[in-house]
Amino acid sequence: MSTSRRTQAGWIAGAILIIAYAVIPVLWIVSLSFKEGDDITNNAFLPTVWSWENYRTVFASDLFTTALRNSVGMALIATTISVILATLAAYAVSRLNFPGKRLVLGVALAITVFPVIAIATPLFNLWRSIGLYDTWLGLIIPYLSYSLPLAVYVLAAFFREIPWEMEQAAQVDGATAWQAFRRVIVPLATPGVFTAAILTFFAVWNDFVFGITLTSSEAARPVPAALAFFQGASQFSQPTAPIAAAAVVVTIPVVVLVLLFQRKIVAGLTNGAVKG
Amino acid sequence: MAAIEMRNIVKEYGDGFKAVNDVSLDIADGEFMILVGPSGCGKSTLLRMIVGLEDITSGDMVIGGDRVNDKAPRDRNLSMVFQNYALYPHLTVFENIAFPLRLQKGIAEDEIRRRVREAAEMLELNEHLDRKPANLSGGQRQRVAMGRAIVRSVNAFLFDEPLSNLDAKLRGQMRTEISRMQRRLGTTTVYVTHDQTEAMTLGDRVAVLRRGFLQQVASPRELYEQPVNMFVAGFIGSPPMNFLPAVVDGDRLKLPLFSVGLPAAARGRVADGQLLIAGLRPDHFEDARLLDSAKRERGAVFRARVDVTEWLGDSQYAYIPFEAGEVTKQLAELAAELDSEALRTQLVVSIDAMSRLRENHEGEFWADTGRMHLFDPRTGENLTRDEAAAADLAQLEQEKLRERMGSPGTASDEPVARR
Repeated sequence: MSTSRRTQAGWIAGAILIIAYAVIPVLWIVSLSFKEGDDITNNAFLPTVWSWENYRTVFASDLFTTALRNSVGMALIATTISVILATLAAYAVSRLNFPGKRLVLGVALAITVFPVIAIATPLFNLWRSIGLYDTWLGLIIPYLSYSLPLAVYVLAAFFREIPWEMEQAAQVDGATAWQAFRRVIVPLATPGVFTAAILTFFAVWNDFVFGITLTSSEAARPVPAALAFFQGASQFSQPTAPIAAAAVVVTIPVVVLVLLFQRKIVAGLTNGAVKG
Repeated sequence: MAAIEMRNIVKEYGDGFKAVNDVSLDIADGEFMILVGPSGCGKSTLLRMIVGLEDITSGDMVIGGDRVNDKAPRDRNLSMVFQNYALYPHLTVFENIAFPLRLQKGIAEDEIRRRVREAAEMLELNEHLDRKPANLSGGQRQRVAMGRAIVRSVNAFLFDEPLSNLDAKLRGQMRTEISRMQRRLGTTTVYVTHDQTEAMTLGDRVAVLRRGFLQQVASPRELYEQPVNMFVAGFIGSPPMNFLPAVVDGDRLKLPLFSVGLPAAARGRVADGQLLIAGLRPDHFEDARLLDSAKRERGAVFRARVDVTEWLGDSQYAYIPFEAGEVTKQLAELAAELDSEALRTQLVVSIDAMSRLRENHEGEFWADTGRMHLFDPRTGENLTRDEAAAADLAQLEQEKLRERMGSPGTASDEPVARR
């Protein structure tokens, strides 16, 4: 009795600690974003007066709104392409035997551990000479090359979970390999597809290194990079509070996405496929 | 509907292991063929080669006159019920059954709905059509899998141990259902199982496989009464056939518990003093006290101590231990190959349920030695197989099938099977 109660208390204490560790910085930024003018130096956690001023500043600046448009656009495009390619690649990796399969997987893994900063400079030079510098495409390509391996790994794990018989049954029922893939495997791997999509979206959305090195203007600069160019209300004040407001704004879509797709990321969709 | 012919089918894996070895088998149009054998005998592999999920190393697979070796599964026009059903979990029961029809181009939605309803009707699934497989019971899932198989008109149905995931009671019911369905549709069927009862009751003919080799293809009755070798004899029948060492002594045969005259069929094929293995089924025995004298004369009577008895209400088994001597090891090997374990050599005897034989007491038994088989211990060959009787049984089976296929009102009026 007492031990179970004590373990329970321990669990609760631990949970509170971890949640606090994760949430306090976020709350801090939120609270900062509502502080008006010089209120950020008030030495208190909460603002003295709650104000929307910083949000107005942020949305009034072209820098932020175009950056937001760039971020949303590029993230969506990169995610879509990445997930489609990853679905096909993961299927091949998990189901088909082809020469060089291990090599492909090894290279994919190697790319994910490769430090991003190491290729930023070469890419900068290359992109400048072939005209991709400061364009959406110039950012989407490196995003793809970094997010694809991750997505392939996630999806391959999901595909492996789907019983072989599903496909074989479809083939016997008269499906071509493509039909079996489209009508049976992909629907069954939906949770995996969503997981991969969200992970890819986050990776792209949060990118800073490529965003700052491969852009020079508002034409393609994403939000995280744009925040570095942020200016306050006057040239002489630190733009801490507006940056906090911008950070909150870019965090919202991510939070919404997670809440939205949480339901989709439920495992156990294959329940009932085979005798369980 | 079509006949399936297999000519010298071989399946060799990359490591040189032959899962199926030179199997030739003709399955007639409308026939219900059972593939049976202990685990690892290649029966499922053979089935998967018919359907096209497994490549054929060599040999010819001919379905309805076409060689299909190089055809994809979808071009063979077969339907299969998998052991684990392989239902599509994201689709409703209706869509699961409709799936094969939707893949065929040019079937109107009305037609699809009509055919699915008919198949569902036949399997009593109509009230479950909107449910997902996850919400169905094991038996219902099994029926959905069958519905998906019968909804199109195919050349043949293939079943891969379809009932092995059901509990015993349901298995019995579904077995009858499958039999009834096959008789109604008249579609050629190949059915893989390791279950004795399914093999004996469902099939027109049964093919027994051992380590990739075809042992015997015959009607259940012929397999039971005239097995070609010790393997088939031991595999078919439950409880299995008793094997006893038998030594030829002049024109007598000495067994551990009794001796009998050497059967006529074996005369001239065995030498004096040769060690043979005698096979007697449990139901070839009887409690001698409950026997009329006319019958008593036909067999051998012996006294033995009963170790254990099992009373099952309608039948009763008595276990009599004996020493197998030289052949002990060989019998143990055979038992292991048949997926069972011979912990001790014992005679399983089926006696009348009325018999009051008590454990650990001596009883008097009668053995119907006229139905005894003798096997060569080295080759396992049956020395006493009655070819004439076997031919009679085969003839009988042929007639039964012909009668069923020829009679009006079997396949022709069945809407589901209509093209």
